Amino acid sequence: MLRLMAKRLLGTASRDIPSRPLQILPRLYHENVIDHYNNPRNVGSFDKNDPNVGTGLVGAPACGDVMKLQIKIDEESGKIVDACFKTFGCGSAIASSSVATEWVKGKSMDEVLTIKNTEIAKHLSLPPVKLHCSMLAEDAIKAAVKDAEAKRAKMNGTLKGADVKSG
Amino acid sequence: MASRLPILRRISILLKAPPSTTLRSLRPSLARRFLLRKVLAPNVSPWICAAASSFCSGPLNLPQDSQGPAAIDYRSVLSEDEYHRLANSTIQDLQEKLEEFGDIVELEGFDVDYGNEVLTLKLGTLGTYVMNKQTPNRQIWLSSPISGPSRFDWDHNAQAWVYRRTKANLLKLLESELEQLCNKPVNLS
Repeated sequence: MLRLMAKRLLGTASRDIPSRPLQILPRLYHENVIDHYNNPRNVGSFDKNDPNVGTGLVGAPACGDVMKLQIKIDEESGKIVDACFKTFGCGSAIASSSVATEWVKGKSMDEVLTIKNTEIAKHLSLPPVKLHCSMLAEDAIKAAVKDAEAKRAKMNGTLKGADVKSG
Repeated sequence: MASRLPILRRISILLKAPPSTTLRSLRPSLARRFLLRKVLAPNVSPWICAAASSFCSGPLNLPQDSQGPAAIDYRSVLSEDEYHRLANSTIQDLQEKLEEFGDIVELEGFDVDYGNEVLTLKLGTLGTYVMNKQTPNRQIWLSSPISGPSRFDWDHNAQAWVYRRTKANLLKLLESELEQLCNKPVNLS
């Protein structure tokens, strides 16, 4: 009974709707981009007032892309122990910043400054028009490191001042 | 309508971070609509300042030469009409010269396409260049298979489009790269 109904339905469907030629999309997101878009790593926020947190904010909504990348520095070793991001933008921008947070973890601040947008773009197989997203991710890393270094310098400066006063 | 939904979702994720004073008084749904309307509107300079303050806490510590959120008011640098006039004439001029170049250099897969204010230059297996306008920043953006992404600002003194980080001139950069790729000199000035 059900099989008959199904056949009837399929029959009417094939008769009413003219068969459309299969459209092959010329551009597809690379599977790495789709993976990062569907399962973004390290989405979130740290406390921006934490002296061990560096925040990089790049882009502008009017341009279509804003990335906020934060890094948590270990006080003693000066290495990046954790990173998180929040991005407003296209799939490539989200994937680029997600990759950036993965790559900075466990590295020193000097080391992450060597991360190039070309490496991110290659990893995600970004098409020419999306290379700007990878550059923005590189800028976000640099901005976060700069902020972290400025905070550390400020903290060290304050401590030195205290020593002088007490000593 | 369907394309707005992912944007709204992303904006709402961002909004869950502590809201700024500008948006705190608005109800979340109103705030989202305000954001969306402003994002899609052309002249958004006052909004950029509000957005920047809503996302980040204190002063932005960005590298001097980075293209960060609008700390510079680009409207004062170049008016929008002037920008469109300059950028359009540059890109259209380039399109003509590149088409002539295509006739000279017999390269398989050579194609110059200009649509929706985006200039795409395909050099077959050698790579693809994409050039477009970035009106809010008053910039021309270039994506090159050799030098990657670059963002050119109009330098009034030099009367040319210059990439601040490398001091590269747009036309000179294209000339040298195309000569490198196609083994034939080209004059784009």
